[in-house]
Amino acid sequence: MVRRSERVWLNIAVVLVYAFLLAPIVIVVLAALNSGAYLRFPPEGLSFRWFAAFAQSRSFTRSLAFSLRLAAIVTVIATVAGTMASLWLVRFGGRLRTTLRLLLIAPLAVPGILTGIALLIFFYALGWGKSGFAGLILGHTLICIPYVFLIVSAVLVRFDLSLEEAARNLGASAFTTFRRVTLPLIKGGVISGAIFAFVTSYDEFNISLLLSGVGTTPLPIQLFDFLRFSFDPTAAVAGTISIAMALVVVLVTQRLVGLESLYTGG
Amino acid sequence: MPAALRIWGRHLLILPALAVLAVFFVAPYLNLLVISVMTPSPRAAYLRILTLANYTRLVRDPFTWGVVWHTMWLGIATTALSLLLAYPLAYHLARATRRLRAGLMVLVISPLLVGVLIRTYGWMILLQDTGLINQVLRALGFRAVPLMYNNLGVLIGLTHVFIPFMVLAIAGTIQNIDPGLELAARSLGAGAWRAFWRVTFPLSLPGVIAGTVLVFVLTVSSYVIPSLLGGFTVLTVPILVVRTITELFNWPGGSAFAIVFFAITLVALWLYLRLIGRAARTA
Repeated sequence: MVRRSERVWLNIAVVLVYAFLLAPIVIVVLAALNSGAYLRFPPEGLSFRWFAAFAQSRSFTRSLAFSLRLAAIVTVIATVAGTMASLWLVRFGGRLRTTLRLLLIAPLAVPGILTGIALLIFFYALGWGKSGFAGLILGHTLICIPYVFLIVSAVLVRFDLSLEEAARNLGASAFTTFRRVTLPLIKGGVISGAIFAFVTSYDEFNISLLLSGVGTTPLPIQLFDFLRFSFDPTAAVAGTISIAMALVVVLVTQRLVGLESLYTGG
Repeated sequence: MPAALRIWGRHLLILPALAVLAVFFVAPYLNLLVISVMTPSPRAAYLRILTLANYTRLVRDPFTWGVVWHTMWLGIATTALSLLLAYPLAYHLARATRRLRAGLMVLVISPLLVGVLIRTYGWMILLQDTGLINQVLRALGFRAVPLMYNNLGVLIGLTHVFIPFMVLAIAGTIQNIDPGLELAARSLGAGAWRAFWRVTFPLSLPGVIAGTVLVFVLTVSSYVIPSLLGGFTVLTVPILVVRTITELFNWPGGSAFAIVFFAITLVALWLYLRLIGRAARTA
């Protein structure tokens, strides 16, 4: 067995790395709740003044609303397309399975900034110009489909195909089978895939940087422009919103699918 | 519905995803290749005259090579540092009880879901000259240390962002290693360190390779962290490419640079995998 002293050293190292991982996140929440313009020790007291400043800033609220709208649209498209693709690949993939799986995940493997550049130039060639809402939707959909696909596939692998066959043999139509048998069984995967897609789009930076324009500025781009010249805690409020969302996502995914399936593949 | 139509109908399932990818992923990348051999022009996006000048200019320019080298260096340093920090985490995670693992997974995954920008902002609060770390140093009577707007800040930010990827890649392989193997080595007289290096580590190598390749590729192509934590002092290839395209409007030049860099990254990975392969054979 591993000796106690070795365990202790491993545990100390692990705790330190977790502290490193969580430090900047905790700090952002503290900065948002701190009353001063700078975070100091000892803290100057609890205050919601930065939340008020955020709510009053037109540029922040406008880009927050834009980001939420964009993420909602992207989530619907990516969830439907991604779920359909994984249903197909698990069942009828055949010889093309490996190739198509690679193609579907490819947008995650190539540099996002390169994809953004390629899309910018491509949209220009199509005559769409910059600042297109449609361009942002497509760019985000591209990197959200892989997440939905991976998560739904992880659930589908565990799924017993004979259940579907039984429903079909008993006379249910393909659509009824999907609605009454398949969907209820993979619902957890679809929901967490959708949530992942939403957060991915909400936080997306690289593609947005190149495709956003006047009037179509998602929150991360607004924050980027802001942070280049200022450390004002108004940005920490945006961060806190994002952190709260991430926490909800992780807990919901843990309940519905189990986070381990993200690395063991189901 | 006729049978033939039904068989074709089921293939409609893959169609939406495939269409999006073909039109808005494969085509734009092919287009990038085409643009990179066009002639840049101050008046139009580019002129439809084929040329290799964009490539030859890049290869001859020592400034380009300096930036490429710096980017590669940051990539290697970040990969090494995140491997060093992520491995204990992955090992601990893989050997934890089921209940504990569920909790720890939340800690590993949550940072991934908080936007890169938010995490970078957290680091800015900690690392800036009047930031928390320097406040503590001053209070203890030390001098303030420049932690940001330099390579150190970029390295910290990048390592932080990529540790979870490394953990996920490695934890999967360690979990599949039978703990009995390490125990056997121990009972045959190997020390803890020796048992780890000769048994567990070699068996976890597939995860280590996957993790290091992934982190390296993500690091050399990251944009936000070098530009915010590096200020104007750290110049990397992605920053230069974006500047060439959005500020100088030299699309062919920027495209060529992006493609050359992508190729260099692939060659670097190929070399790395060969080295690992040779080391594994001689070990």
